Amino acid sequence: MLATIRYQLAIALTIAASVSVGAQAPVNIRLATLAPDNSPWTSALRSMGTSWEKATDRRVRLTVYAGTIPSESSAIARMAVDGLQAATLMVAGLAEIDEAFNVFGIPFFFESDAELAYVEQKLTPLIQERLRAKHYHLVNWGNAGWIQLFSKKPIRTLEDVKQAKLYTTEGNPKMVQWYTANGFHAVPLSAGEIPKQLTLPTGAINAAPMPPVYAVALQIFKDAPNMLDVRVAPLVGATVMTDAAWNKISPEDRAKLAAAAMAMEQQINALAPELDAKSVAAMKTAGLQIVTLDTKAVAEFRAAAEGLGASQRGAMIPADAFDLAVRERGAFRKANPAK
Amino acid sequence: MTEDLVAALAAIGIMVLPLAEVVLRRFFNTGVPGAAPFTSHLTLVVGLIGASIAAREGKLLALATGTMVPEGRPRHLAGILAAFVAALVTTILALGGVRLLQVHYAAGKEIALGVPTWAADLTFPIAFGLIALRLVWKSSPSMIGRALAALGIVAGAWMSTHPELLLDQSGWPWIAILVGAAILGMPIYALIGGAAVILFLVQGDSPANAIIGSYDQLTSTDLPAIPLFTLAGFLLAEGRASDRLLRLFRAFFGWAPGGTAVVTTILCAFFTLLTGGSGVTILALGGLLMPALIADGYSERFSLGLLTAAGSLGLLFPPSLPLILYGIVAEVPIGDLFIGGFLPGTLMLGALAALGVREGLVNGSARRPFTLHEAIGATWSAKWELLLPVVIVVSLLAGATTVQSAALAALFTLVVQRFIHRDLATFGDLRRAMSRSIALVGGILVILAVAVGLTTYLIDAQVPARLAEWAKENIHSKWVFLLGLNAFLIVVGGMMDIFSAIIVVVPLIVPIAMHFQVHPIHLGIIFIANSELGYLTPPVGENLFVASYRFNKPILELARAMLPMYVILLIGVLLITYLPWLTTGLLK
Repeated sequence: MLATIRYQLAIALTIAASVSVGAQAPVNIRLATLAPDNSPWTSALRSMGTSWEKATDRRVRLTVYAGTIPSESSAIARMAVDGLQAATLMVAGLAEIDEAFNVFGIPFFFESDAELAYVEQKLTPLIQERLRAKHYHLVNWGNAGWIQLFSKKPIRTLEDVKQAKLYTTEGNPKMVQWYTANGFHAVPLSAGEIPKQLTLPTGAINAAPMPPVYAVALQIFKDAPNMLDVRVAPLVGATVMTDAAWNKISPEDRAKLAAAAMAMEQQINALAPELDAKSVAAMKTAGLQIVTLDTKAVAEFRAAAEGLGASQRGAMIPADAFDLAVRERGAFRKANPAK
Repeated sequence: MTEDLVAALAAIGIMVLPLAEVVLRRFFNTGVPGAAPFTSHLTLVVGLIGASIAAREGKLLALATGTMVPEGRPRHLAGILAAFVAALVTTILALGGVRLLQVHYAAGKEIALGVPTWAADLTFPIAFGLIALRLVWKSSPSMIGRALAALGIVAGAWMSTHPELLLDQSGWPWIAILVGAAILGMPIYALIGGAAVILFLVQGDSPANAIIGSYDQLTSTDLPAIPLFTLAGFLLAEGRASDRLLRLFRAFFGWAPGGTAVVTTILCAFFTLLTGGSGVTILALGGLLMPALIADGYSERFSLGLLTAAGSLGLLFPPSLPLILYGIVAEVPIGDLFIGGFLPGTLMLGALAALGVREGLVNGSARRPFTLHEAIGATWSAKWELLLPVVIVVSLLAGATTVQSAALAALFTLVVQRFIHRDLATFGDLRRAMSRSIALVGGILVILAVAVGLTTYLIDAQVPARLAEWAKENIHSKWVFLLGLNAFLIVVGGMMDIFSAIIVVVPLIVPIAMHFQVHPIHLGIIFIANSELGYLTPPVGENLFVASYRFNKPILELARAMLPMYVILLIGVLLITYLPWLTTGLLK
């Protein structure tokens, strides 16, 4: 009896499968991001989804879940069980899939948008290959501006950074250990604690790296009114899709998807500097002091930071990705010497 | 027993790690590597093993309706049926845990210092497996009854390995079965968790999606505060702290008309803010306060009503566990919720105390003259208990996180109760108190864990977004929305426990409230204030259930006795809702 039921079920499923192949059943992509609803990033993702539907005659549909996942780790786990098929993640989440993404989190490694874009482009084939080994496909990049250092007292040297009680995320013990090993006073906390800890005179931190847009939203500048004019790191994000979903899409449709994804990437990358500038201007009006270093101090700062970056090679960043990033950054700087 | 030992060690870890981290970080700049992730994962272990201990002790929270099934054969059959469905759901959850373990193993995910995450994930299949077996074992005294209930385990395993069986079917008949089983006494976690896994299965998704949500919830940053504050409250309740505090409040308020009634409301609020209104207050204080009220001339009916209602006071004062959980779920600052809840909490407390004063005046209840000698003596005797809120507030103001402050509160209470007052005279007493506390925590955390699974499904199905769209189109006034919200939350409070209500309902209402520009902290306080009423609303109203058990009175009699208190608290809730400055005034 049981065997008969199973047999009938198998036939029914086979028929269902063949019908769906014949009718080219739509591929539904559920994509999650920590970016809140109504943010420029989410709008861009939704308009990319509309483009995908139009370009493929609704053979590929995208549903964006914005700000509804508890963490990027959660989105990655749900992709592994096919509960989600794609996610737009920042460096911390991306590095959970592959540590090569940690290149973009090295403090003081990149100087400009142009340099970042150049190195990102050169790293893409390597990262795509590493992702393939982990059953993911890189859909596009998206840079959301730069992380800046906000502090209670002005910070002028790397030594000042080391003396500061520096916020760091508590979800990454390796990073905390790296900070401590290199002489920093990093304090692991949940992000929600930052405003309170900066407000209290005996708070656990007195400096916090964060993008200007968050600093405005959280009113951080009221308690930490100094911003170092040396960028800490770019806020790099990327959209990844599971191979299982990507492979369901025909090669012709994949090309259409890639074109729309590239358009989104360009749109986001163009938007970020403008958002950063607006946020900094708003905070300056409200009393934020920008701590500008002279050229010599910047050079010293960067030289000291260089050694710190190298200490992540092998331990936190795969050597091939780190070496390629250093090489390509050098090539860019050679071709575009600082003025 | 091994599981008690594992859970107790994990609980001690949750207490010690955050404190060691803060001390070593501040004074030696070293900290404890991975303190926060280890604390989070130990909370997962405490929660799930605690739930399995609760199953062993028959203390998993269930609807009060199960006890209304006539005794004898009907209740026997109801027990088997409820256990069958619960075992089915629990087996699916256990196998979902195995899938999560595989995912983390394949990804090589670490907690910290090379300790793999899958080691903590193991708790899911072990704990849910034990729970399923225990539910089956306790379902019937006869082996045939147990065998029938055990078929639920087989059915759960079958459904997990053949997910296509439910694909594209309607979920409603399954939900009806789950609700039916819950009415017959199936634990609440199985109702909510069952709804989550079935709904995932019918849309073709793995039940592991629900367990991933559970894992996120159980390892979320602020969650360790819940077991820690519960432990502190429970250790207080186990000792003679209630005698000392009763003496203290009587010394100061006993002279006033209705003094003992006022003292009852304050004392209940004090205990509830530490224990999260999980019924501990009524269990711990009922035996002490009921005779005190009767002896001072209050009627039995008034005393029953007051004790049942006062058990829910305190939820709006720091460090109330529902406020903490609300902060976690709605992503609003917990400190702001503490500040925002102060005036509304005082209003609710004052309203009930005023009722006590009135009763005292009408009945001419006994009053005690104020004497400085007794006031000083009582204060001295209760000095350690009084220091507890000071420790919490001072540590928060000094820069401790909610979890660090909770850890300090738990350690402080443990030291006071074990070594200073010696209320817990031996380590055996301490171990037993911890086990009971862990079972209580487990009963709550397992519901939280599966409730997130249901929320994950609702978000996948875009229910919050659709609900928000509907509200925007059909509700045009903020005040109409708030009135609807009051009614909705009271009904929800009467059907769900407060913790799962926060997890399932908050994501649904936040987008709508944002549209109507309700202040996020005001929304949180409205939510918790309504929940205070929910505790008293049949059929699930937990206080009714616990008080019925504690005082051995039918639920209906308690509901009647509590009616005047219910009405006055309802007026309080409406004031809190429609006078936002009560909440936002102090925030400014």
